[in-house]
Amino acid sequence: MAERVFITGIGMISAIGNNVEENFRSLRAQQSGLGFTRYIDTIHKNILPVGEVKLSTDELGALAGKPGSPEFTRTTLLGLLAIQEALQSAGIADPREMPAAFINASTVGGMCDTEKVYFDILDPQQEGTFLQYIDTLDCADCTQRIADETGLREYVTTISTACSSSANALMYGARLIQQGLVQRAVCGGTEALTRFTINGFNSLKNTDKQFCRPFDQQRNGLNLGEGAAYLVLESESLVNSRKARVMAELTGWCNTNEAFHPTAPSPEGDGAFEAMRKALAMSGKTTADVQYVNVHGTATLNNDASEGKALERLFGAKVPKFSSTKPFTGHTLAAAGAIEAIYSVLAINRQMIFPNLNFSEKMEELGITPETKLLEEYPVRNVISNSFGFGGNNASLVFSRYEG
Amino acid sequence: MKAKCYIKGYAAISPQESFSGGFAPHLLTLEGKNMMHVKEPDYSGFIPPNSLRRMSRVLKMGLTAALQCLRNSNAKIPGAIITGTGRGSLQDTEKFLHNIREYSETALNPTPFIQSTYNSVNGLIALQQQCTEYNNTFVHRGFSFEHAVLDSMMQLAEGNATEVLAGAFDEITDEHFYIKSRIGYWKKELTQPAELLESATGGSIAGEGAAFFLFTSQPSDICLEGIKMLYKPSEEEVQQALQNFLSSHDLAGEEIDLLVSGRNGDARYAQFYDNVERQIPDAKVFYFKPYCGEYDTAGAFGLWAAIKEMEQWPANNAVIYNNFYGEQHTFMLLRKVV
Amino acid sequence: MEALKLKLKQQIIEALNLQDTKPEDIDDNAPLFGEGLGLDSIDSLELMVLLERNYQIKVEDPREGRKILQSVQTMAEFIKSKQVA
Repeated sequence: MAERVFITGIGMISAIGNNVEENFRSLRAQQSGLGFTRYIDTIHKNILPVGEVKLSTDELGALAGKPGSPEFTRTTLLGLLAIQEALQSAGIADPREMPAAFINASTVGGMCDTEKVYFDILDPQQEGTFLQYIDTLDCADCTQRIADETGLREYVTTISTACSSSANALMYGARLIQQGLVQRAVCGGTEALTRFTINGFNSLKNTDKQFCRPFDQQRNGLNLGEGAAYLVLESESLVNSRKARVMAELTGWCNTNEAFHPTAPSPEGDGAFEAMRKALAMSGKTTADVQYVNVHGTATLNNDASEGKALERLFGAKVPKFSSTKPFTGHTLAAAGAIEAIYSVLAINRQMIFPNLNFSEKMEELGITPETKLLEEYPVRNVISNSFGFGGNNASLVFSRYEG
Repeated sequence: MKAKCYIKGYAAISPQESFSGGFAPHLLTLEGKNMMHVKEPDYSGFIPPNSLRRMSRVLKMGLTAALQCLRNSNAKIPGAIITGTGRGSLQDTEKFLHNIREYSETALNPTPFIQSTYNSVNGLIALQQQCTEYNNTFVHRGFSFEHAVLDSMMQLAEGNATEVLAGAFDEITDEHFYIKSRIGYWKKELTQPAELLESATGGSIAGEGAAFFLFTSQPSDICLEGIKMLYKPSEEEVQQALQNFLSSHDLAGEEIDLLVSGRNGDARYAQFYDNVERQIPDAKVFYFKPYCGEYDTAGAFGLWAAIKEMEQWPANNAVIYNNFYGEQHTFMLLRKVV
Repeated sequence: MEALKLKLKQQIIEALNLQDTKPEDIDDNAPLFGEGLGLDSIDSLELMVLLERNYQIKVEDPREGRKILQSVQTMAEFIKSKQVA
């Protein structure tokens, strides 16, 4: 019998707050973090809204205890702040105390900083300290700097499956624990806004000039966001031996592939349906046990239609409350799965369902609508969290209330 | 982790004549730059023209190596597809960065952005084979392919899959070669692969390649017994880890008859390889980097070369040891099934 | 109009790297997507880039794009209508 996997610590930073409590307060106050960028040099800066963390890179450095460290990119600093909070909340003073894994997720690594000097790097005439940080342009750089700062080193790696990256990181960490390779895995992702990704999604013509409207008939695309989030996963035996506080249990997960199209989901949501169905089966729960689905809900034409179909197929006439929290944070790509995992844990612990902002008109192809009000004292016991990405990559996680 | 992991089939695109299936190691003669490129196969027998027209180089390499591996294994739809890549499609990433500048962020082609996504090869394999199962991509320098291997072994151990397609791909471009040359990745003077290992300076020769394997729980000739990764270890930690790794498989260093070594001629990290050779004293040593060059996922070519060596040479136990610029170290143990 | 359509066909072949296709292989009214040339949604985005770069016509809404990009004929008509306006 494989070990149960518990969540014992959470830490995050996003457009709606620099830590978990600030995020929770914004969710409860229904306060979105979307707006125009202050830090990215792009022609889209006053046109495309984004969910930007409200601190400059220098301010992030100071907050993370790394002032004046240009080798720490914005991606790294966001991750460092989130992981420091996660370890603290798990009551881990020294991560070196036991072999633990650090499974990170990133889509473009340190691109946020390297894109500013990329053409200087290519110019033989240009010399300077920036040359020392050339290596920050891959995805492993942020992971290793965070690993080195925290002392997590038994398994150190980075997953990149586009928008589902950190959901896959959580899955991988949980499996390392179940296989007995480690007792503890810190998993999540970090993503900084870049000119590269803003232009990338804009070239796909799926960015909305208005604030994103998930599951709305008039939705017209996503808003990008940035942030980082990590969850501390521990085996049941470790939790028992160190008497750790358990926030929730990760009871089910599944990763499937659509095998439909390089960027678009299948119209009937085959991959989303399978991912949710199998994750739920693994958790040992039934559809009736699910009170809330934190949907991927990017507000692109395709995603919401296909994800909505999948919900209707899985739950039939009894689709539970569901909402996309992307109108709060923007779509934080590699960090989204972990950020929304923490929102799922909060939904369970605070017995609350967070609203899907900016919704007004039901989609014609669906019979269901998202929850638009904040629901307090709502008996949330099991939550499905969805993250779907390019390349047909679909990941669903099931979080359950800790029942001892 | 208990499950057995056998190697049912494999395929490699490399600077060698590897794609046809044979391996007669041949040292290239380099001109101008310390950089070697793969011998690209004819992709048209693998990828429909309507898909091929859009694909950049490393996508074609990765997809074709994966498809050839499935053909060689008489398999069609694996139970999982797991890859590693350090850099993904450099060509596309570079193109998109240049386009952003050239066209001042207006009217940008979406294709390079889509293809720069690290998991695009995985998506293409799944799409072409209509594989809807587990799909994952690791992007961590010298731990990219290696975690794809570990993930595969876990998939087999969990019983989620009986056959896993795992592999790695990386390319080198002129632009990326130049970038890395500015921080000491390559030797400054033109160095021929034949002289690489005698070099006393820092840096190596840039390489590239794609290699895929079909791992299965059904017994076949060669078994991947285990993998051990070490992140930024000291020399002592590597030595201790090797000893523990071997003894956990009831083996002593003397019982290893083949050592496949990632020694890359970079004098800064030679001590790690020296130590391993001392700990495995009786093995025939095969150095694979002079044949493929150095890159994030060269370890995948190392595994491929180890299998080829074991097929041609009466080795029962083989250890592969590789490190990527002294940071990510990996041991793998292969055993011939008798 | 005929000259424009020929130009357009050449541009489409180049932009989408349709290696074995010649302009005369593309019928003015044949559907570009699905059946006809077998193009997909990524190609439609590439064709919108083509319109913007070569004809300074910006198509913002993918839904609008689908109508314009039905065939070479509809593309050419759209370009003409913009140039007159």
